[in-house]
Amino acid sequence: MLHRTSALVLTAVLATPAMAEEFQWAGRTDPQTMDPHAVSSAPVLGFLNNVYDGLVRMSKDMKVEPSLAESWEPIGDGEGWRFTLRQGVTFHDGAAFDADDVLFSYERASDESADVRSWFSPVTEVKVVDDFTIEFYTNAPNPLFPASIANWMIMDRGWTEANNAARPDKENGNFATLNVNGTGAFKLEDRQPGLTTTLVPNENWWDEAEHNITRATFTPIQNPATAVAALLSGDVDFVEPVPIQDAARLEASDGVNIIRGIETRTIMLGFAHEADTLKYGANAGDPNPFKDVRVREAVAKAINVDAILQTIWRGSAEAASQLVTPALSGYSAANAARPSYDPDAAKALLADAGYPDGFGFGLKCPNDRYPNDESVCQAITGMLAQVGISAELDAMPVSNYWPELRADNFDMYLLGWSPGGSLDHEHPLRFLASTPNEEKRLGSWNFGGYSNARLDELLPSILSEIDPAARQAMIDEVTALYQSEHAYVPLYTQPLVWGTRDNIELTQRPDNFFILRWVTVN
Amino acid sequence: MADLSTSAPTKPGRKGRWARFADSDFFYSFKRSPVAVVSFTVTMLLVLSAVFAPLIAPTNPFDPASLNLMNGFTPPMEPNAFTQESFLMGTDDQGRDVFSTILYGMRISLFVGAAAVLFAMVLGIFLGLVSGYFGGWTETIIMRIADVQLTFPSILVAMLIFGIAKGFTPVEYRDQMAIWVLIIAIGLSDWVQFARVVRGTTLVEKNKDYVAAARLIGRSPWAIMIKHILPNALSPVLVIATISLALAIIAEATLSFLGVGAPPTQPSLGTLIRIGQGFLFSGEWWILFFPACTLLALALSVNLLGDWLRDALNPRLK
Repeated sequence: MLHRTSALVLTAVLATPAMAEEFQWAGRTDPQTMDPHAVSSAPVLGFLNNVYDGLVRMSKDMKVEPSLAESWEPIGDGEGWRFTLRQGVTFHDGAAFDADDVLFSYERASDESADVRSWFSPVTEVKVVDDFTIEFYTNAPNPLFPASIANWMIMDRGWTEANNAARPDKENGNFATLNVNGTGAFKLEDRQPGLTTTLVPNENWWDEAEHNITRATFTPIQNPATAVAALLSGDVDFVEPVPIQDAARLEASDGVNIIRGIETRTIMLGFAHEADTLKYGANAGDPNPFKDVRVREAVAKAINVDAILQTIWRGSAEAASQLVTPALSGYSAANAARPSYDPDAAKALLADAGYPDGFGFGLKCPNDRYPNDESVCQAITGMLAQVGISAELDAMPVSNYWPELRADNFDMYLLGWSPGGSLDHEHPLRFLASTPNEEKRLGSWNFGGYSNARLDELLPSILSEIDPAARQAMIDEVTALYQSEHAYVPLYTQPLVWGTRDNIELTQRPDNFFILRWVTVN
Repeated sequence: MADLSTSAPTKPGRKGRWARFADSDFFYSFKRSPVAVVSFTVTMLLVLSAVFAPLIAPTNPFDPASLNLMNGFTPPMEPNAFTQESFLMGTDDQGRDVFSTILYGMRISLFVGAAAVLFAMVLGIFLGLVSGYFGGWTETIIMRIADVQLTFPSILVAMLIFGIAKGFTPVEYRDQMAIWVLIIAIGLSDWVQFARVVRGTTLVEKNKDYVAAARLIGRSPWAIMIKHILPNALSPVLVIATISLALAIIAEATLSFLGVGAPPTQPSLGTLIRIGQGFLFSGEWWILFFPACTLLALALSVNLLGDWLRDALNPRLK
């Protein structure tokens, strides 16, 4: 009987016309790891969304929708959230999915070794009710919690423990760095870090497949011009990002489509707030000037953001005043003004702070993470030199960049932040503005160690406040605080420019996540 | 081997050095070769304009304070839409004047090329003399290393050395050290040619009577090698050095193009071409075109000069 069934299946497979819809795509950054809890960066989380599932996921228009959880409801009067899990879901290796895997993934993702632990800062306790019900208790009412864990991906306890990967290891890596056992729409067929990563559809996926792909290959192409050439020649079907200078020409050429949007990412400069001395440049070893708010304000005033937008971005990016873009919830309209470009005022501030002749320091910058990142850093170096402070620019690939920042090896650095998950101002507040606190799992990307007691005090209330007006009032207060202290210098919001062959249909999500299951090859 | 001093008709009369040079076969063959004259002129023009770049260049592109980003992407000989400034060869994405940047970039290219060849030459001559004169194990080891190195493309060797050296340099010195590391990397990948030629000459010369005589009167091996044998090898070494210079300039440009050479704040010609390549599709052709032409002119003229030099110094090769 069993034999006959498999024979039937085989005939059915052979009978279907050979529609091998192979899909090749290229991006600028290779996902550093296949471990969904090890690195909280968009290239990693975006890629892994194709192979792993979370309890909830984001729809095409960035709304929360059920994924491994079929439904969820608040417990009592805001004590937490109860998730009802989907039944009959299996991991790629065939193991069944249940509440224990969720509990395990919570333990793994909230562990000290996990980069994504800030997501769970409000969580006090997780209780497995039965095999398909799990409860998350929070320290205060947390209306945004389900949305905030949209990128938290569920791993299999059995597989992970059997392969000694029960905890993520972002420094040295482990089995989960190169292998995947998720519940997602695609399975990892082959992974060669930095070269190619091949995905094939998961025929046992719990949801109905919208795509028609039979195999998809991702190749990182660091040089954007090379990626564009590959798209034009048809070597790849999709590239992201398309350099802004090439968009117009590609729009005019046959066989290629350009998809434009505004990303939810804000590009900003960060400072070493805590360091006692400068680490790089002509004044390495001297007391750290960036501790002085006047120096940080001088930096903000020295940078001509309009010129950057006008030339490097060719008018297609927007200036930023705060850590989130106007399109996101919690944006503080009351604090929409950004420091004006005023080099004379910047010089006066520097003189006032005791640096009439300026000083030398080091500026760290990625050169393959954000579009135009290195050009922008070079332009900033020039603008700062015009007010007398000379930055020694050190631009490096992103795989070296994050470790350098984590090791506090910077005086000033460039950072882009997109509030994946909750798409709310609270996200950067938690990750970037809160005082770093291992225990509370806060401030895990606040590399410079910015700290403001009032902000830390208000943050829990912002997270738990249900009344939108009261919540916004607190966010406005906090925004004014970090703006007046120039904790960061928000620069601009970058545009999303994707390029595809014209036989490809796909959906561009504003968080710049490329979701393979929405791709149709015609 | 036709030597410069012996081939010139030396008259006992007190003629000045310049007059004697102008009278020589060497200069005669130079005058008669249009390729030599043109390539020499182009090389000298480029070298001089690089040396005197601070005097010629309208701006100093290495001074970040002098840059105006609003000048970015100005086409050649057209006024910028915002600042109304006009530039001979246009500007790049940072608003840097391409003409000035080429002049300054050429300094780095020429300096790295020349220093790398000098380094390779000194190393190659030393190892060539030693292995040719002493023979035995010394020779076997040196020449086998040379053979192994010849099996790798020299650009790969240079990248390997550059990568290792960069790994050992403390981060804060990387930018300052990059140029020196580049010189050593290119030099180390290039010494074999010199060593082979010098070894060959040494093998021939060391059995000649004058060397035996020098040995008999008790001159030290080093004195014999450097004062007696080496001068015989100088003309082929000069030819190799000239051709190597062109190759070293290209090697530096290649490394910088790949992003492992000169830092972006101090662009050499290769870095400029790398930057320009990003704007090739979008119509800003001048950012790539002018540096690429300069590199072509420089490498080609030095190479042609080297070719002519080989013919002139070594007529047997004709």
